[in-house]
Amino acid sequence: MAEKKEEAVIRVKDLYKIYRVGDSKVRALNGVDFSIYKGEFCAIVGTSGSGKSTLLNMLAGLEKPTKGEIIIAGEHMETKNENQLVKFRREHIGFIFQSFNLLGTMNALENVALPLTFQGMDKATRLARADKVLDLVNLKKHKKHKPNQMSGGQQQRVGVARALVVNPEIIFADEPTGNLDSNTSEEVMNLMKRLVREQKQTLVMVTHDNHLASFADRIFHIKDGKIIKIEDTREENKEQE
Amino acid sequence: MRFFDLWSMSSSNLWKRKVRTILTVLGVVIGTASIVVMISLGLGLSESMMKEIEENGGLTTITVYPGESNSFEEDNTDKLLTDELVETIQNIDHVDVASPVLNINVIGKYGSYENSYINVMGMTVEALEKMGFELKEGTIPQRDVGRLQFLYGNQVLAEFYSSKGGSSYWETGELPDIDLMNDSIFIIFDADAYWNVQYNDGSAGYGDDSGTPVTPPKKYLVETCGVMAGGPEDYNQYSWNVYCDIDLLTTQLKKVFKNKAIPGQPTTSSGKPYKELYYNSIYVNVDNIDNVTTVQKEIVELGYQAESNMEWVESQQRQYGYIQAVLGGIGAVSMLVAAISITNTMMMSIYERTKEIGIMKVLGCDLRNIQTLFLMEAGFIGLIGGVVGVTLSYCISGVINIVVNKMGTEMQLSYIPFWLAAIGIIFAVLVGMAAGFFPSLRAMRLSPLAAIRNE
Ligand SMILES: Nc1ncnc2c1ncn2[C@@H]1O[C@H](COP(=O)(O)OP(=O)(O)O)[C@@H](O)[C@H]1O
Ligand SMILES: [Mg+2]
Repeated sequence: MAEKKEEAVIRVKDLYKIYRVGDSKVRALNGVDFSIYKGEFCAIVGTSGSGKSTLLNMLAGLEKPTKGEIIIAGEHMETKNENQLVKFRREHIGFIFQSFNLLGTMNALENVALPLTFQGMDKATRLARADKVLDLVNLKKHKKHKPNQMSGGQQQRVGVARALVVNPEIIFADEPTGNLDSNTSEEVMNLMKRLVREQKQTLVMVTHDNHLASFADRIFHIKDGKIIKIEDTREENKEQE
Repeated sequence: MRFFDLWSMSSSNLWKRKVRTILTVLGVVIGTASIVVMISLGLGLSESMMKEIEENGGLTTITVYPGESNSFEEDNTDKLLTDELVETIQNIDHVDVASPVLNINVIGKYGSYENSYINVMGMTVEALEKMGFELKEGTIPQRDVGRLQFLYGNQVLAEFYSSKGGSSYWETGELPDIDLMNDSIFIIFDADAYWNVQYNDGSAGYGDDSGTPVTPPKKYLVETCGVMAGGPEDYNQYSWNVYCDIDLLTTQLKKVFKNKAIPGQPTTSSGKPYKELYYNSIYVNVDNIDNVTTVQKEIVELGYQAESNMEWVESQQRQYGYIQAVLGGIGAVSMLVAAISITNTMMMSIYERTKEIGIMKVLGCDLRNIQTLFLMEAGFIGLIGGVVGVTLSYCISGVINIVVNKMGTEMQLSYIPFWLAAIGIIFAVLVGMAAGFFPSLRAMRLSPLAAIRNE
């Protein structure tokens, strides 16, 4: 396939994560290898406790692997210290949380502008940019609303806007629709899919829901810390055509 | 992050938790106020001590008196104060000026006014220059005038009584109508003779045991060269005295008394004066406060008595040092309590904001920014507490001074100079930041995973 010869934005080699709980060991990740290419929308699917979040956290540099390599945008994540990881996230990564994690004291606009504040951008510029991105996620009317004045779907759209505002190469999302009903979930999924497609960003999403996973270009099935199957929906679609 | 963003973020965090912030600030207010007020009391005390010292003569002055005569011989002149001794003392290290002091009581007359007890101090002009008199008018006695000049202390005028039976200044509050500077004041040096005449005039017929002829002593016109600054009730060490050049004074006295003994001078067993003049005391000025004790010791070793303010000052300083330490200690303890409460508040706020801090880290907030955020919050608490505390201190200080003055003392017991206020605020900010340092480290080290976990 021509697409697979593209450069890999994420390259994971022989990744292990072992937790010690008392005397026993939990192998949350047990030897994982894969690559994700630029502009792809990938879903990581598996049952609860299969190691999805652990994998995503390590990709985002929130946790250190026990063993193995993670190369993102050409840089090794496992050798970076915390300061460097924070800097890397600030410059390359957007993150969408399951429980939205908006700051309750800030309105939608300020929440979206927050990552730009961390970049040291001046107030006028960052608010203007946040404003534009909120338009993209169809929240024109709710810019001055605090999180507790918005529905779950609206809050998650603010969350999506916050991830997109820094124009990151890669966006990670851990069960982004986990707290939403199924209709709203589809809405948000479609929105995310459209936006990353438009801006040629790479999206890695974790979910336990096979239906939601089917929105992705490729689906990684994970079980007991191992990838058991990689599905490419684009090939299926092509075959169907 | 930009400084302004850090600033507004941390201040809005404090604002969000108003009640808690105010309570924590209150601790700092009390801590700062107690330290500042305590130090202000110490400063006020030592300030008034310094004033007292100035009134009692400088700190670098030593007065030498004749050695205690330990023999019973009458004409023992062994430890009297001679020119030779002045010379010796002058040659001691660190001695700036050593001057003989000759004092004699004279009577001053102007018209019907009379001051029957003027204490005239003869000293070298060099020493007079050193004593740093504050003058209301005129100058101190000059070197090369060649005639005797008097420098009047500011309280001398009040002691002129009208011999017509008028009441004194101390009864009426009215100063005698004499311009010391320009009016001609006559001086009677031989006070004994004067009193003898008065006595014999008043009660004629009473036998005069010495049989001296009753001729009134001569009056001399003595020019005034200056008057010291200050009113009739402003006491200081010099205010009761009249100062003049010692050489001119001795010349004058020798002329007045001729072969008789000058009052105050020792006599031989046969009642004759010695050839040499003995001084009443020697004024010694030392170059530096730190050397006073050494010089004083050296003079005592020569066998003379020496007095300075040093011992008194040292004991006072020790005493005020204790008071200041105790008061400062009380302040320090309350500041420590305030610091602990800041730490506690910051820890609580960090526990509450674990998730928020995690989110910030996931979104790429620099670790140092996170630390700065919390340090600034703690520093803010210190700053607000410090400013309010210093303001409060000024109020308390004012009240203390009013109360003390009502009780009849004129001293400013509590004194807050500007530097103390500034240091108080800076100190409060530093204490706040120090108290916030450990919590800020903790915030910095919190795991970003806190943001991921669903509660
Ligand atoms: N901090 C941890 N300490 C110990 N075990 C953990 C920790 N985090 C995750 N695990 C374990 O690792 C496995 C994978 O967890 P996780 O990645 O959260 O699963 P998923 O997100 O797929 O539900 C689970 O068995 C879980 O209990
Ligand atoms: Mg999970």
